[in-house]
Amino acid sequence: MTDLGFLGLADAGELIRARKLSPVELTSALLARIARLDPLVHAFVRVTPELALAAAREAEREIMAGNWRGPLHGVPFGLKDIIDCKGLPTTAHSKLLIDNVPNEDAFVAARLKAAGSVLLGKLATHEFAIGGPSFDLPWPPAVNPWGRNLFPGGSSSGSGVALAAGLLPVALGTDTGGSVRNPASLCGITGMKPTYGLVSRRGVLPLATSLDHVGPMTRGVRDNALLLDLIAGHDAADAASVRRAPERFSANIDAGVKGLKIGLVRHFYAEDMQADCEQSAAIEAAAEVLRGLGASVREMRLAPLDDYATCCRIILRAEAFAVHRRWLAERPADYGALARQRLLDGAVVSAADYIDAQRLRARLIRQTDLAFTGFDAALTVSGMDPACAIDDAEATARSYPRQARQPFNVTGQPALVVPAGFTGDGRPLSLQLIGQPFTEAKLYRIAFAYEQATGWLARHPPGV
Amino acid sequence: MDDDEVLRVARAMGLTRLEPEHLMQLAQSLEAARRLGQQLPGDLHWSEEPAMVFRVAPPDPERAS
Repeated sequence: MTDLGFLGLADAGELIRARKLSPVELTSALLARIARLDPLVHAFVRVTPELALAAAREAEREIMAGNWRGPLHGVPFGLKDIIDCKGLPTTAHSKLLIDNVPNEDAFVAARLKAAGSVLLGKLATHEFAIGGPSFDLPWPPAVNPWGRNLFPGGSSSGSGVALAAGLLPVALGTDTGGSVRNPASLCGITGMKPTYGLVSRRGVLPLATSLDHVGPMTRGVRDNALLLDLIAGHDAADAASVRRAPERFSANIDAGVKGLKIGLVRHFYAEDMQADCEQSAAIEAAAEVLRGLGASVREMRLAPLDDYATCCRIILRAEAFAVHRRWLAERPADYGALARQRLLDGAVVSAADYIDAQRLRARLIRQTDLAFTGFDAALTVSGMDPACAIDDAEATARSYPRQARQPFNVTGQPALVVPAGFTGDGRPLSLQLIGQPFTEAKLYRIAFAYEQATGWLARHPPGV
Repeated sequence: MDDDEVLRVARAMGLTRLEPEHLMQLAQSLEAARRLGQQLPGDLHWSEEPAMVFRVAPPDPERAS
């Protein structure tokens, strides 16, 4: 059998359904890997072995009794530690919330539990999903398994690291300015920021409510679609939640790309910014792969990256300060330095600038929608650079603006990041696919065809 | 902006417990916000309003029956 550490959701679910793999065996194997490897990569802020084994035993009993609930039944998962799980602290990786124990599950946690999935623990994040890799918090920052001193991206850093290190097959992250897609890019895994409103954020600590998304993170594309199948859905308790008919995003994943029209947003990484040459070459190579599979790929132009970035930063900072202002007034010293700086940035955004940023947002949404006319999806970079050293504060700070993820928090469009190869020295490269709202299924279809044609998934970090 | 002005801004915002190092951070934030505001396009018109749309809830079929 495949190494259990790198067994994906679809394969694990099928083996469990067929009673060829016990949920207890899988959970125990992953807990053993966590005990061995997590002290090196710091993906978890809390591991819950007793709860996990109890849930795995219950799943096993149900399945043996013929009550298989679906592909997640008995499959372990982890939650970014801004997502509530009843009875366990939601710390946001912060001293401020070290004793914050919710009495309800987040919508997405409840969906996973109802599917019979097995929680392994809570995963590291940048403090309050905004801070950056910080060394002045109660837990150390997660480290990229592709190199012991490499930045894993953030803010869903523990989710990306745990998947890349083979500590679990399924994780949830959140994405306000790229926080699912950044660690997905730098850790060589798959991360989806769904359409705004598709996945409920009830029970998730907000960062900036008009930009916040919950997103599935997995190693492979099919697994990601299966996870989105489970967590998407209307929730009246989330003001942004969209009421629409349920959809199986995994249903036509292997339909191929023949005849699809894909826009290559080259100006993001070749004019607006200059991407690392290996990263830009990976995008050009991906365009060729998709052409070879029968897609039409031609250039698409969107607004300049700077316009989206200005818009996103102003809105994010102002909305984040609105969430944090009472804590900043009462307990400013309990934040790490990075989170405090970024949250104070929002304290002094003027109301007029915030309103103008919303005006700009409406304009950018109109322009982007128009640019997508005649295209099924767009292809571009996620970040401009592969992972830098985690203890190089200047390099990590520089990496945040050098990205093309914020545009799609501004527009609310779905955006999917998948592995796209490696640098000469073994760091993951990635690509980003973007669709019109609610076209997640089409993005998965394109990404799956690319994944099958390239086989990047087969490679794992050295030493794990 | 000098230290007294930064302190006045902090107090006006209700941030009365900021320590000297936090006030230095706030000074950086003030400069960052000024720069960011200048990057907004100059041609934004009031007609491009971020619309607040009100919708009547659809009839609840259970109540109707």
